Amino acid sequence: MFRIIKETHIDFIGQRKKAFLFSSILVTLGLFAFVMILLDKANMGIDFAGGTMIQGSFEQAINVSQLRNAVNAGGFPEASIQRVDRHDSPNSYIIRVKETVSGGEKAIDKLQRIIAEAFVGNKFTKDSEHTIGPAVGESLKRSARWAILISVLGMIIYIGLRFDFRSGVAATIATFHDVLAVLGIFYLFDKEITLLVVTALLTLAGYSLTDTVVVYDRIRENLRKFRKKGEFVSTVNRSINEVLSRTIMTSITVMTVVVILFLFGGEVLRDFALAMIMGVVIGTYSSIFVASPIVIEWEAHSPRRFK
Amino acid sequence: MKGQTWRFVVTGIFIVLGMIGFWNTLQYWTLSAGDKQKMEELKPGSAQELERKAMRLGLDLKGGIHVVLRVEKEKIEQSARGDAVDRAIQVIRNRVDFTGVTEPVIQKQGDDRIIVDLPGYTDAAQAENIIGQTAQLEFKLIESQENANLILKKIDSIVAIANKAKTGETGASRPEEKAESIAKDSSKAGDTTKDVFADFLSEDSSAAEGAILEGETPFTQFLEPFLNRPETNTQWPGYMVAERDRRLLEKMLAMPEVKRVIPDDVQFAWSTRAEIASAQNVYRLYVLKSKVQFLGKNLERINIGKGQFQEHTVDFRLSGQSAASFARLTGANIDKPLAIVIDNKVESAPFINSKIRNEGQITMGGSATIKDAQNLEIVLKAGALPAPVEIIEKNVIGPTLGSDSIRKGLVSSIVGLIAVFLFVGIYYRISGFIADIGLLFNIFFLLAIMAGLGATLTMPGIAGIILTIGISVDSNILIFERIREELHSGKTVRASIDAGYNRALLTIIDSHVTTLITAGALFLFGSGPIKGFAVSLFWGVTISLYTAVVVTKMIFDIRKGYKTLSI
Repeated sequence: MFRIIKETHIDFIGQRKKAFLFSSILVTLGLFAFVMILLDKANMGIDFAGGTMIQGSFEQAINVSQLRNAVNAGGFPEASIQRVDRHDSPNSYIIRVKETVSGGEKAIDKLQRIIAEAFVGNKFTKDSEHTIGPAVGESLKRSARWAILISVLGMIIYIGLRFDFRSGVAATIATFHDVLAVLGIFYLFDKEITLLVVTALLTLAGYSLTDTVVVYDRIRENLRKFRKKGEFVSTVNRSINEVLSRTIMTSITVMTVVVILFLFGGEVLRDFALAMIMGVVIGTYSSIFVASPIVIEWEAHSPRRFK
Repeated sequence: MKGQTWRFVVTGIFIVLGMIGFWNTLQYWTLSAGDKQKMEELKPGSAQELERKAMRLGLDLKGGIHVVLRVEKEKIEQSARGDAVDRAIQVIRNRVDFTGVTEPVIQKQGDDRIIVDLPGYTDAAQAENIIGQTAQLEFKLIESQENANLILKKIDSIVAIANKAKTGETGASRPEEKAESIAKDSSKAGDTTKDVFADFLSEDSSAAEGAILEGETPFTQFLEPFLNRPETNTQWPGYMVAERDRRLLEKMLAMPEVKRVIPDDVQFAWSTRAEIASAQNVYRLYVLKSKVQFLGKNLERINIGKGQFQEHTVDFRLSGQSAASFARLTGANIDKPLAIVIDNKVESAPFINSKIRNEGQITMGGSATIKDAQNLEIVLKAGALPAPVEIIEKNVIGPTLGSDSIRKGLVSSIVGLIAVFLFVGIYYRISGFIADIGLLFNIFFLLAIMAGLGATLTMPGIAGIILTIGISVDSNILIFERIREELHSGKTVRASIDAGYNRALLTIIDSHVTTLITAGALFLFGSGPIKGFAVSLFWGVTISLYTAVVVTKMIFDIRKGYKTLSI
């Protein structure tokens, strides 16, 4: 038998105070980011906020700051410029601006004009363009809200059917914790919130809940065996240790694929993969250090199972 | 065992069904460009036929144009609004059909939007023309040269007065300063004159433009460079204006004071496209009589042709009432120019030589290409849109970008698959290898189902498949960890395997339900590419319940007496 994790007896529960502190910081950050999104003050992608994206390649290598200066001076001070890895054209860039129209001109035409003027003799070939009017952004926001609402409802219903009240609340908290943490980190690093990032957040909510489910299942199973007073904490701890190798193994496989997606999947999927990577790390952490300790604390304050 | 055979039969049937579902896709995906060419040579259309049967690729992988239109119902009569969107869809469908794009998607979204997907089509400007043009064809008379000049003079004086009034306020118009600012062309020197026109000059107009606006003829000075020149000779009916000056003139024309001096029955209109005169791009500005003399409806036999100077034309025929009224119009205006107006832009304004009864010709103006003529032919054939449309989203994905994405998706999938394969194989030994077989089945069935159901594969869809690779082995990990524990507690191999599968089953189903909830919500509300993600994740996870649990157990059960287990 080949084992990464030998039989463990780690006192995870004993670390809960530190974990709660750490998690509170993450969740606060996430809540702040959430409020900023609601107030329209977050860095929303052009799919939500409306705007223009152009991707293309230069014939010869360019100086990025020259491109940035030209675009900024040309009337787009908040443009985002990103280099793209492409095997067939090494000098590919993506430019995103929040405008669809600038100075009475379509932003897409203006950008191309600016680039042509700034790089005379170095042809820029457009590979892709995307213009999204604010009205479309609004409807995308609406559908994203619905998708979030439906998944949250679905998960809560599922949790309600599947767990007792306390575990259900704890599982819900742990899931929100993960999503908020990733959202918070994205906000902190001024990453764009795009439709794909929202998709990743919802996916990792499902993933993290799964992790919690596995731990809780084991706790429930073990509680049948150990029903003596004072054994609740040790049973929980023991259960976490028992499923630890599964938790780590699954995290490793999922982590492997999302890291590969991050490295090889290209620009389109990079932020999606990044959110998933963070989600896997935080989800694994929370299923061990957050979900079960909440139940423990609850039990300690108002004992129910072992009176 | 009876149950054993049954499982094998079911799996066998699944494999056959999967093969059938995936066959065309597999065939098409393994064709090289040369193969496709050969197929086309042997039997034209056969490669396309196969492509149609293969798994559909989203625009992000195939390249193409995605446009969302808003039908501007508010701009038409109340009574016509009811079915305007449906009629617009019909017209757009006809137009797209003429372009020969295969498998376009044209559908209604909400109550005033239309989604148009043109796979494989990447000429953005062309698409915009064909889809977004209202294509309202009107024939209008041109204002006489005397009247036009009168109006232009009035505009000159109005703008000059407005200009002077503001310059007076700011008190900065000493001649030497002006000269300086024209000469320097630096934004600082232009400041004084620039803020005068700040209300209608865009922020990036050069200082020189701002300065030049002063004087007695702020408007007509832009028309003058081309007037009375032998090589242009276009004093009338259309005044030439350099492309860079056009915006400035538009802004002057939009000033409320200027609008007041233009009579109600007169309108200014620009030519459809630029042409080249005196080595620069120029547009023509026409002064038209607003009244529509003839509405371009009921045109018959619309075809591309050639005019007397070998320029492109779009020819049509008229009959009955239309022919009679067109004949009246042309008969009454011989030797006068007639403006051919499409969507408020003047295509051209040829002189009427003689009375035209039933045969019309639209001369393509400017530097029109054969493509422009074809576009016009298409939109006239398909008819005008019932209401103007506004393009509210446009996404153009070039074919090279699509193939680059496919490459990246393929590389990620293969690397991901190999990594997970090796990891599981090394960690769980032969049992891990069995899980790998299950994983292969999972991917195979997933592709087969997506191809069979006619689902569209998108880039996020590929991400969904890759995620499936990572998530679906979770079931096996749960089972194997359980088996290890059972073995550890001293059970026999057989009993451990059975217990491992039985005990992990509930947790496995549980753990998949949450992913399915997310996938379902994303499917319901996601747009194109996101929907692709939801579809592949949903099916991937669903199938993994079968492949990771049933198929792997089946393989374990092939051998009866286990003494040891490689796990």
